[in-house]
Amino acid sequence: MGNSSIAIIGIGEVPTRIMPERTRWDILYDVCMQAIQDSGLDKNDIEAVINVAPQAQPKLAAELSFGKLPEELGLKGCKDTCVCNAGGASTSNCIRLAEQYIASGIAEAVLIPHVTVHSTIPLEEQINFFAKAGVDMQWEYPFGTTYNILMGMMANRYMHETGAKPEHMASVVTALRSWASRDPNSFFYQKKVPTPQMVMESSLLNTPLHKRESNILGDGGSAMVVVSAQDAGKMNKPVAYKLGESVRYFSGTPVLRDFYKVAEGFSVTATEAMAEAGVTKDDISLWNIYMAYPMNHPIMAEALGVAPIGEGAKYFAEGRMSFGGDIPWSTIGDAPGRGHTGSGVSTAMYVETARQLMGKAGERQVKDCRYVYQNTAGGSGFNNIATVWGKEI
Amino acid sequence: MDIQNIQFDMTRPLPETQPWSKPFWEGTKQGKLLIQHCKDCNANIFYPRKVCPECWSRNMDWIEASGKAKVYMFSTAYDMVEPKFMADLPYTVAYVNLEEGIRMMTRIVECDPADIHIDMEVEVVFHKLNDDFYLPYFKPVKK
Repeated sequence: MGNSSIAIIGIGEVPTRIMPERTRWDILYDVCMQAIQDSGLDKNDIEAVINVAPQAQPKLAAELSFGKLPEELGLKGCKDTCVCNAGGASTSNCIRLAEQYIASGIAEAVLIPHVTVHSTIPLEEQINFFAKAGVDMQWEYPFGTTYNILMGMMANRYMHETGAKPEHMASVVTALRSWASRDPNSFFYQKKVPTPQMVMESSLLNTPLHKRESNILGDGGSAMVVVSAQDAGKMNKPVAYKLGESVRYFSGTPVLRDFYKVAEGFSVTATEAMAEAGVTKDDISLWNIYMAYPMNHPIMAEALGVAPIGEGAKYFAEGRMSFGGDIPWSTIGDAPGRGHTGSGVSTAMYVETARQLMGKAGERQVKDCRYVYQNTAGGSGFNNIATVWGKEI
Repeated sequence: MDIQNIQFDMTRPLPETQPWSKPFWEGTKQGKLLIQHCKDCNANIFYPRKVCPECWSRNMDWIEASGKAKVYMFSTAYDMVEPKFMADLPYTVAYVNLEEGIRMMTRIVECDPADIHIDMEVEVVFHKLNDDFYLPYFKPVKK
């Protein structure tokens, strides 16, 4: 088994909803206090706060950058705080930074929180932010592209390569929503799970993407407490150890991102992360995959070797990644199931990874969950960060 | 929220240029699709850079592309684009592979979106945004 240097020992989260009356600081108080209480530490044991950058919320970003959170929460032992931004890969970088803080002796316990409240951002600002984020302003934006269009192009190419049908692609939504419907923190908790037919009957946004294959922007937040693996081992409670990691950079500008190199990058990072963790894909209990859009999940399933090449979408159509299937996959339903909270989806994914390894996932609990593979990516997919987490070292 | 009462910026976005990319846009005004070329390592470069991304040479020039390309991937938009692009709907955004070995984003025009397919042969046509900018769009090659 691989070596571990850190572990998540406490988690906190609020349900993702559209609730403008719930302010950003409301959520930050709730998730931070939950995570610290869940960790078993005292609030004054937190020696650093590394904030996941709040996208499209410049006032909050400034407040957090300039040190307000430890003061609000009365974290008397806090030695330092900062904000870390790499889009959807921010949380992975916060965890890496926490690892460095702990290794260098800056802090023994690090709090990593995130909050996004989309519902109070004026609609024109939301549209403008998501139209430009991760898109080149000279070579792409003037052509009228959007995130939806970028994902649609990739899906069209995948369908061309593999022969996957629209109903196969639509079944990814069914799989993700089957988990989300059982997640109290999901936007779609206790909501009817759409069949592939219902997905395809929703309006066409851009080929081949239907309305139900895109994301709903929500308000939400989550937090975690990270300590050294050595300290975690002494706590006599379930924790999540980080066991392996690998990353590849693709490109900042989507048009320079080659379809095959991205798929290869997914595969190589998984192989390297699992090798570092000392596990194989057969050891993985849960594939906690963060793609933001459903249409890329089949590509990832194939790159990971979970599904044969060309059959990723068919695996989803067979229900193998759905709740009750034989391949536990994205058990909060990724962004399409959870509701999109900006960079916070990746924070929620790490919280879910820890929750599953701690055995606290309720109806969604993966049986005998020992090892979780979790990835994140930033922007429109400029990189892929692969990690492996375990319930023991 | 009453979307009818929101004042959206309807200004058509222009390419945000850099000094080293200006020859590209000057070329489009003259009906030429120019590709940056490194005279030291012979790389064709897209998008244009200050130095060659392959060898960091500053010894760079421009070559005129044939304007012929093949569709690599595409998606036709019917809804959920920025208000400033709504009047264009439906429109098809694509990546095309040029004969010179580079790939660029564009729009596929002058055809029924239903006829567009991967590997379709297309050729450049320049779409005027204003007196300073012409966007390189592509249309199907007539056989």
